[in-house]
Amino acid sequence: MLENYSKQVNRLLKNIKIGDRVLVKKGKKNYEGFLMPRADTGDKDSIVIKLDSGYNIGVKYERGMKIKKLKRAPKKTVEVEYKKIKFDPNKPRVAMVTTGGTIASRVDYRTGGVHALEKPEELLANIPELKDIAYLKDVSSPLKKMSEDIDYKDWQKIAKEVAKQVNKNKGVIVTHGTDTMHFTSAALSFMLKNLYKPVVIVGSQRSPDRGSSDSFMNLICAVRIATSNIGEVGICMHGSTDDHYCYFMRGTKVRKMHTTRRDAFRSINEMPLARIFPDGKTDILNKRYKKRDDSKGVVADIKFEPKVALLKVYPNSDPEILNFFIKKGYRGFVIEGTGMGHVPTSAKKSWIPPIKKITKDGIPVVIAPQTIYGRINPRVYTNLRILFNETKAIPGEDMLPETAYVKLGWVLGHTKNLEKVRELMLTNIAGEIAERSEIDAFLV
Amino acid sequence: MIDYKKIGFKCGLEIHNRLDTKTKLFCNCKPRFSEKQPILIIKRKLRPVAGELGQVDVAAMYEYLRDRTFFYNCYNEETCLICIDEEPPRVINKEVLEIALQITKMLKADIPNEIHIMRKIVIDGSNVCSFQRTAVVGLNGVLGTSLGKVGITNICLEEESAGIVKQDGDEITYRLDRLGIPLIEIGTAPDIKNPEHAKEVAEKLGMIVRSTGKSQRGIGVTRQDVNVSIKKGARVEIKGVQELDILQDVIENEIKRQLGLIEKGETPKEETRVALEDGTTKYTRPLPGGERLYPETDLAPIIIDKKLLSKIRIPETWEQKAKRFSKFLPKEMVNQIIKSEYLEMFEKLHKKYDPLLVASTLTSTTVYLRRSGIDVDVSEEQFDELFSCVKKKEVSKEAIPEILEIMSKEKILVKDAIEETGLKVLSENQLREIVRKILRKHKDLVEKERFSPLMGLVMKEVRGRIAGNMVAKVLKEEMKK
Repeated sequence: MLENYSKQVNRLLKNIKIGDRVLVKKGKKNYEGFLMPRADTGDKDSIVIKLDSGYNIGVKYERGMKIKKLKRAPKKTVEVEYKKIKFDPNKPRVAMVTTGGTIASRVDYRTGGVHALEKPEELLANIPELKDIAYLKDVSSPLKKMSEDIDYKDWQKIAKEVAKQVNKNKGVIVTHGTDTMHFTSAALSFMLKNLYKPVVIVGSQRSPDRGSSDSFMNLICAVRIATSNIGEVGICMHGSTDDHYCYFMRGTKVRKMHTTRRDAFRSINEMPLARIFPDGKTDILNKRYKKRDDSKGVVADIKFEPKVALLKVYPNSDPEILNFFIKKGYRGFVIEGTGMGHVPTSAKKSWIPPIKKITKDGIPVVIAPQTIYGRINPRVYTNLRILFNETKAIPGEDMLPETAYVKLGWVLGHTKNLEKVRELMLTNIAGEIAERSEIDAFLV
Repeated sequence: MIDYKKIGFKCGLEIHNRLDTKTKLFCNCKPRFSEKQPILIIKRKLRPVAGELGQVDVAAMYEYLRDRTFFYNCYNEETCLICIDEEPPRVINKEVLEIALQITKMLKADIPNEIHIMRKIVIDGSNVCSFQRTAVVGLNGVLGTSLGKVGITNICLEEESAGIVKQDGDEITYRLDRLGIPLIEIGTAPDIKNPEHAKEVAEKLGMIVRSTGKSQRGIGVTRQDVNVSIKKGARVEIKGVQELDILQDVIENEIKRQLGLIEKGETPKEETRVALEDGTTKYTRPLPGGERLYPETDLAPIIIDKKLLSKIRIPETWEQKAKRFSKFLPKEMVNQIIKSEYLEMFEKLHKKYDPLLVASTLTSTTVYLRRSGIDVDVSEEQFDELFSCVKKKEVSKEAIPEILEIMSKEKILVKDAIEETGLKVLSENQLREIVRKILRKHKDLVEKERFSPLMGLVMKEVRGRIAGNMVAKVLKEEMKK
């Protein structure tokens, strides 16, 4: 069975394989070319033929239509063997951990199909200048997933692999799909205990099959940061729409802020740690970072409670959703409040009674800002005071909702004691809470 | 005279024509040139990608691209995130698809049941994303010509590339307003018999595109690429012939060049050349191998079903149009207006005003002005206004050339041009006043009843403001007094 082709087309294509040269006879019309695979879009009844001009067309199935094999497809599709880069062992040793995503995908130029890279080393093949920056010897691939499918078990896997590599190398780069990259960066920030080396997460918004992909510069800058003096987890992606420089942004203070732009990742509530140019020039933009200390060893502290929900209130929102999760055995909540952290209070559907009940039962409820920027304030308005004093919800400071969510899961993985949870949630563990709200940290 | 049959002349054309649609091919930007300053200049690099280039030496390509930096001028209404490769394309512009299908039907070509959008690799920076999106919408068509049928191998829809602004060493600047304007590309089989025939084919294909009423106008809107070869010669591709008038020269010159080489005992090489304004060509690069096309993975194939096809109406062909126009225009003028860039304007305006006046203004008058070095820059709205003034007798038709000249030179509106030139129509009384004044001044001529010199003197004063026969009538009357 040829995938995505209809039953009747498959019947017609019996003994014909993708890549075979064929002649399709349909009424008086003839079409000659190579049989191509079908994508999951379009008409399953149309046979895709690559004409000699290079163009593909779809020829729709019709009763009486004939297809003849003219020549068998070459046994192996001719593919350019990627050139292995010879790395220099005298350069700083950096490990690469690949997890999947756009950056680790490739297009089959013949069929247009997008596949995960067979060998993660292929990623480096198009970037010969890496050999002048680092000795990239340890390449491992604990998973191959698009990031929308990544879950906490994957975070644990990645954390373990990274911890192993950190202790052998000057730094580690982690290639990752961009959608949930900032969740993974937060998870690694909490899970990599005693980290004093750079762990750089990098991805791409334009796939590396095109010459204009952002992946090349992102990778170069990521490898450069991996040899730098910064001892933290962070994300390294384009700083602007230009192919000019990347930002290295703290793993707990960064978020994907645009669906498609290459400069989608922005530092939230603080300046990016550094601006890195592909030639190695690095400007430190935020002095509040942990310095490298190669004498320390990292430990993967991966305990995590997955039964935590991330919810959002909005006009007319129904707090009944909380009961749904409670019945499912959930052990913690992060609620994105409006403004400084409000939830509907005197409204018909007030969230106050259920939150009160939940916290009374020892389940933490953390409030994070749905404004993304800024800090939760538990005092300014009566309704804030009701929420934080009467119900004992935990004000999430200036933590990103996603970071608060990951942190709560990690904290609950270590303790279920509500007071202990509250204390940890309000303590800065991995740069997730800024002591000061800096003036220049908005929309950078 | 060269005997083209004898020398084994083979020639095919590929014409590219920009379409005048509401939006670009894959985004909702305006498909036009911006007259404003760029709002942003972005900076990008391109890299060779192993695998995509096939046999091409990736290492060499890497060296070539390494130091190149591309700058792209972005404009407010003519560029968006899609144009700068920061967002995937939107679904194909329906309007464009329908125009392409119209053209395909007119050329009796097969329309695939499913159109697949492809990526054609381009690494000179003229496409921000390093490929051009293109799709074949018609195959195996035919064009009737005076020397028999010419096969149409394919009809494609594609995105226009970015226009180069300047190159400064390794830094190249492009403007992105042009990128993504819909282009229709029509390729013929090598059925063209001689250079003159090539011109006819190009002209006919151009008219077919224009008959949809959706062709852009102006220089550079249509470009012809020519593929030509002769016995013992080589296949040479000549790119970018922008003016139909030089197409014939370009082909003749290329044949002469190849014949010259053969005579000297040399063998012409397969290569790509670029057409220069004087009809000669310049070597650019060896002829590339087959174009590298791979599917555009961000867009689904377009299913062409009966319902869609039944909606596609074949527009009036130029033959039909000529027949219709010949009812109210002399034959010579019919030909002129059909080939004119003002055809669509004529279609609209001839119904409201004297068709002969509209046609002669849009053809001979504008041609005359251009020949005298005036770049006629007048919108349809303004032509409409001008003819309306003539109709209302606010200005005489004799004044049209002068008004157009002033409007184009000074970039002003019809009303202001009439005001400025003082070409407002004179009333009979005003004319009589002027005549009397002149008669008083030249009493000697009046006494000798010298009509012609007097007529000359009056006309000098009132030309373009009132009809000549009226002047003669009034002058005669006044001379009698």
